[in-house]
Amino acid sequence: MIWRRDHVAGGVMAALALAVLAMSGDLPFGTLASPGAGMLPILTTGLILLFGVVLMLQAAHSPPLAEITWSDLPHATRVAAITAACIFAYERLGFLITTATLLLVLILIVERRPMGAALAISIGVPAAAYLLLAKLMRSALPIGIFGL
Amino acid sequence: METFDSLALGFSVAFRPDVLFYAFLGCLVGTLVGMLPGIGPLAGISILLPATFGLDATKAVVLLAGIYYGSQYGGSTTSILLRIPGEASSVMTCIDGHAMAQRGRAGAALAIAAVASFIAGTLSVIALTFVAPPLARLALRFGPPEYTALLVMGLVFLAYMSTTSLVRTLLMAAIGLLLGCIGIDTMSGHFRYAFDLKELGDGIGIVPVAVGLFGLGEILSTVVKGAPSNVASPRLSELMPTRQEWKAAALPILRGSGLGFLVGIVPGSAHVISSFLSYGLERKLSRNPDEFGKGAVAGVAGPEAANNAASTGAFVPMLALGLPTGPVTAVLMAALLIHGVPAGPTLVTDHPTVFWGFIASMYVGNVMLLVLNLPFVGLFVAVLRIPYVYLYPLIVMFCILGVYEVSHSVVDVWIMLIMGVVGYLLRKFDFDPAPLVLGLVIAPTLELSLRQSLVMSGGDWMIFFRRPIAASLILISIGLLLFSAAGLIVKRRAGGPSVGR
Repeated sequence: MIWRRDHVAGGVMAALALAVLAMSGDLPFGTLASPGAGMLPILTTGLILLFGVVLMLQAAHSPPLAEITWSDLPHATRVAAITAACIFAYERLGFLITTATLLLVLILIVERRPMGAALAISIGVPAAAYLLLAKLMRSALPIGIFGL
Repeated sequence: METFDSLALGFSVAFRPDVLFYAFLGCLVGTLVGMLPGIGPLAGISILLPATFGLDATKAVVLLAGIYYGSQYGGSTTSILLRIPGEASSVMTCIDGHAMAQRGRAGAALAIAAVASFIAGTLSVIALTFVAPPLARLALRFGPPEYTALLVMGLVFLAYMSTTSLVRTLLMAAIGLLLGCIGIDTMSGHFRYAFDLKELGDGIGIVPVAVGLFGLGEILSTVVKGAPSNVASPRLSELMPTRQEWKAAALPILRGSGLGFLVGIVPGSAHVISSFLSYGLERKLSRNPDEFGKGAVAGVAGPEAANNAASTGAFVPMLALGLPTGPVTAVLMAALLIHGVPAGPTLVTDHPTVFWGFIASMYVGNVMLLVLNLPFVGLFVAVLRIPYVYLYPLIVMFCILGVYEVSHSVVDVWIMLIMGVVGYLLRKFDFDPAPLVLGLVIAPTLELSLRQSLVMSGGDWMIFFRRPIAASLILISIGLLLFSAAGLIVKRRAGGPSVGR
């Protein structure tokens, strides 16, 4: 059997729906005359399960799974991982340090651009954003342990 | 007469220097967003949405709507000069617009696209001025069953008009509805799927989801390329089309305006579909259909008029009924709601300065866009030369900054990252994430009106069929689903692909 795109897509959706249904046990469905907090979530999850199964049944008409190109995955993973690190550090190190490091790492290490351009952007843009937002618009940006 | 008085009130708001500034800013950012491949109007609006929190509702909606209709203007520039659609609705302009550029008529193609956009934008705002208020008055008679039926019809229409398959669209919308159920149930106080995170008590915000799916998700999916090297920059003197070109553009502009406005009212990817329909119509009506693909003026004028008119038409159900026709109007509705102004029938009566100020600003915005897009085309072309490798890290920074500024909660930023990864995977598996945002936005209203309908009828679901307006809307939805299913069966029997349109 050839695994196709919609076998996986439909399967994941159906599994997601089953997981949500399992988590919905404590939500009251109520009655038609007095609908409970669980009515719409459970009905919607039922629809997700149904559409997931339909997608799997129609999967023969979708392209083989192997045809999906993942050549951009390493780049996407690097960007997502660096973004995650930035979010983790955002409130701990503050806006200026975190965003300057984010820009420097993305431009200099991930994209391998010249040091001069990377430094100019990674220092200039966060500094300008900080002046505009924190000083002019009095917006509360995270300060972090270094007070920046 | 009442409409003209209200419009005068609107212009008194729209001509205020601060409102003019935000209209100009929206048009400028929209033009840039439309031009730059990889950033669509939805991503632009989502990323800038948090920046509007310090503004009042009028300025916020004027700025964000300016980005939306401005992007329709800007999208044509890259289509004509580079054969790369800056955004989805400009795909058809690539064909004949770029062919005109290759024949040395790039300036004329840009001018025709800009003038067609201006005429269509202005005509459709006039139509919006006269259609939306009476429709809003009618909608004031709607009760919970009518609203439930209307929202269901909106979702079904979206699925029917979708460029991916019916099942995929409905699946995405259902996931959006489910995400919209997270948080405290307003009727019973139950905590739903909050995983002991108090930040999820108010539910998942539209901003982290929209910025994640369309801002970060788009970046993760976009293959990094260098700046295009061969970008032509037409001079101002080359922008004037010939008399023959104007003549060939006149009727397609008018037809595109009418068609685009009507398609725009219908929920779905209106501005994309309208340009395809207009291109097909012009080709069918042309005396020289063979010219299409080789630089036909009508192939630029019609679709450009249609996508602009559709973007304005989409505001009719949003403003009058509170029904988002697509993800962009859904985000705009969320922006209004954040400012304490619910879009819908009460908008005209309860917030006339917002409603009429917004409409009047669109007249002004269309003039601004015409002025921006023609003389400054060289300046915009210069932006196209900035390598994407320098642009996307800045967009990531603004995504994080923007989402954090909404609630000052890092949980929202994590949600944004998760939605970014989800958006990347959805694109890989050929899902359109737009219906998910729509489902998320309408979930609270749909749930409330559905439960109110059932409570007021004592649990009798036939209430949706006993009230004429609700029954008509439900029957239209059922008809569309049956029609779509029949089309699928016919296609399957004919041996065609069943998935995707």
